[in-house]
Amino acid sequence: MNVIETKKLTKYYGKDRGIIDVDMSVEEGEIYGFIGPNGAGKSTTIRTLLGLIYPTRGSAKVFDKDIILSGPEIRQEIGYLPSEVFYYDDMKVIDLLKYSASFYKKDQKIIKKRIKEFAELLDLDLKKKIDDLSYGNKKKVGIIQGLLHEPKLIILDEPTGGLDPLIQQKFFNLLKEENKNGATVLFSSHILSEVQKICQRVAIIKEGKIIRVQKISELLENNYKRFKLDTAANVSKEYFAGIKGISDLSVSDGSVNFLYRGRINDITKKIAALNLKNMLVEEPSLEEIFLHYYK
Amino acid sequence: MNIFIREIKVNKWSLLFWSIGMFVFVLAGVMKFSAYESSGQNINQVISQIPKSVQIIVGINVGADVSTARGFYSVLFFYLVLVATVHAALLGAGIISKEERDKTSEFLFVKPVTRAKIISAKLLAALCNVIVLNFVTLVSSVWLVSKYNKGASATHDIILLMGGMFFLQLIFLALGAAIAGILKKPKGAASLAAGILLFTFILSAFVDIYPKIENLKYMTPFKYFDAKTITTSGKLDPFYLFLSVIIVVVLVATTYLSYSKRDLDI
Amino acid sequence: MKQYLRSTIVWAIALSAVAVFYLSIYNAFTKDVETVRKIFENYPPAFRAALGFHLDIFFTLNGFYLFIFGIVLLVGAVQAANLGVGIISKEAAGKTFDFLLSKPITRTKMITSKVTAALALLAATNIVYITIVLFAANAVSKGDFEVKKFVLISLTLFLVQLMFFVIGLFISALVPKIKSPISVSLPLVFAFYIIGALDTIFGKNVRYLTPFKFYDLTYIIKNGAFETKFLLLEAAFLIIVTGAVYYLYNKKDIPAVD
Repeated sequence: MNVIETKKLTKYYGKDRGIIDVDMSVEEGEIYGFIGPNGAGKSTTIRTLLGLIYPTRGSAKVFDKDIILSGPEIRQEIGYLPSEVFYYDDMKVIDLLKYSASFYKKDQKIIKKRIKEFAELLDLDLKKKIDDLSYGNKKKVGIIQGLLHEPKLIILDEPTGGLDPLIQQKFFNLLKEENKNGATVLFSSHILSEVQKICQRVAIIKEGKIIRVQKISELLENNYKRFKLDTAANVSKEYFAGIKGISDLSVSDGSVNFLYRGRINDITKKIAALNLKNMLVEEPSLEEIFLHYYK
Repeated sequence: MNIFIREIKVNKWSLLFWSIGMFVFVLAGVMKFSAYESSGQNINQVISQIPKSVQIIVGINVGADVSTARGFYSVLFFYLVLVATVHAALLGAGIISKEERDKTSEFLFVKPVTRAKIISAKLLAALCNVIVLNFVTLVSSVWLVSKYNKGASATHDIILLMGGMFFLQLIFLALGAAIAGILKKPKGAASLAAGILLFTFILSAFVDIYPKIENLKYMTPFKYFDAKTITTSGKLDPFYLFLSVIIVVVLVATTYLSYSKRDLDI
Repeated sequence: MKQYLRSTIVWAIALSAVAVFYLSIYNAFTKDVETVRKIFENYPPAFRAALGFHLDIFFTLNGFYLFIFGIVLLVGAVQAANLGVGIISKEAAGKTFDFLLSKPITRTKMITSKVTAALALLAATNIVYITIVLFAANAVSKGDFEVKKFVLISLTLFLVQLMFFVIGLFISALVPKIKSPISVSLPLVFAFYIIGALDTIFGKNVRYLTPFKFYDLTYIIKNGAFETKFLLLEAAFLIIVTGAVYYLYNKKDIPAVD
């Protein structure tokens, strides 16, 4: 079943475009990435799915139910971590989490246990007042709040902002656990490396439109890598002739520079035969990828 | 309901503060009145010393016999109503707009509840607050006035006046909520509600003094239940009661409709 | 300062509109003098005596202006108090404090610049108000119009606004996070208004308790000048409270956002 299914989902803020004709399907059990530059329409899409704003045109279904007609029902099984977290400053963390839990028709005992577990894992003091928390700690509250009711769909909007690398790692492990237990994850970000780490498929959105949907593995394979080689002896251009996937090749005294796209093993075999002094392999930046996909 | 309980909890200090304030106002008024009563001065005499223009601004019921407890309380009522309606308007506007104002909407509105349910819980909590304030005013007034009163009992009047005040509170509560429901950016709801309240308040002062614009009295709720009319007639005008109910129903319906249909301000 | 421009315009227009509206009634009002007198005839003798005595002032333009000016003061006070409470609270509530403080300015400087901006807004509002109201008054006047006294009365708006502004500032210094300034400024203003009203009826020393009664408007009409003592008192009040505000802001912790 497609957990999320949108048909030409469109949102205009007055005259300003939000998203245009977005067709998206997220399958059950997958970790689906949603990447795009700032302002591309990621948050707009998510907020429309959640019923915070209403679409101008088009429709969407979650768990095969219409998002407008069955909103509250759907949201019983959704956990959401927004990009900016604000909670009620007068509450203590544990109070907020209990308040959050009170909305769900699930076994409260299990929820209680999960709250404790997650808090320990993420190193969060449940007794602290929300007002006194740093931004990163507020994010942790957000994570727990989003996961405590064992939702079948987890939606994350730029979730790692403010988290230190250790907590980030624990968070990703947590997500993978939930995913193993059957949860579907929609992960929105502008940081490619994160999406690479955890997602299986990814949709690329730019200026309100979905440009491409692709498997992560394909994305990586099909990406150019820049190779910069320092060699002991001069290499001639002909050495690399006939290798498929090399482009933008330049050779000068003791150095070789080219772009490569294809199977890594093929090119490394070729390079291994050379007498290398130094080698640099660079990943393309997100900008470079987008430029590529824009063409 | 969890939202209802939460709203009650979060408003408890504010409600306490306003209730104490109300009590203090009534106390101050009553004490001042009794000071004059016991010192033998005829208050009416004192009032006549005050420049007429100031009298009108201050809202003295022209013609009210202020030397009795009843007459005096009808003047005091004018101000108690002011306090109560400000409280109601700010509460109504605030309780609906606060999620968007404080940016907690991405938390609350993603929960599995309809917006209608959220509105209901909040309005109910606000209503409870308004009832409590009214009750505190009522009890303080009855108790303090009878304590210091040496003349005829004003209790019946007070109860009647508090009834009128309750409807005024409801009107402004609903107004505040409706504004917050309608505005695309609800941060300004409290200010707008306050502005409208100010406007109708000023209007009511003027309708009194200038007979030609008497028809405008329907535009200002303060004239629906004014002390002079109520104390002289001994009851609340059923037409105005009916009008108030209609206004409240329309405003509340507007709140539900607009808040459920519009995008949240994130 | 830019953020407040739009709301200031609204305030200035509102204030002027109030005054103009009621001034326009004045013309019609005086025509009905006889009718009004008849109405008052029905009131008890004690009142009539008092009224008769003062009706004359009332029906002069300046006297009438006093009447409506009370309302103008009320509205203006809300504007000023709201500015005072809001202009610094806005930073703390909006969590932009850290942003500002990380800029190379001291806290004192930051507050000074905000206060100056607010004062400019208030001054602008007053200038607009006085200009418009002068025109309107001139238009409806029947010759008994004394510009100087009129302007002096109108200036008390600015003086009262200053007091409320500074009180608002002080409150915002005490309470760190005010999420809705009008929920503080409106009750504050009304509280003072009611104190003033009740005490006028039942007390004597009103003048020191509330900014609304601080300036005796009938004195201004009679004498064409402010009472120096009170001007000095206000100056002292403003200086002391403003000093306290600066002190508090330099001492206290800014609610930090990591």
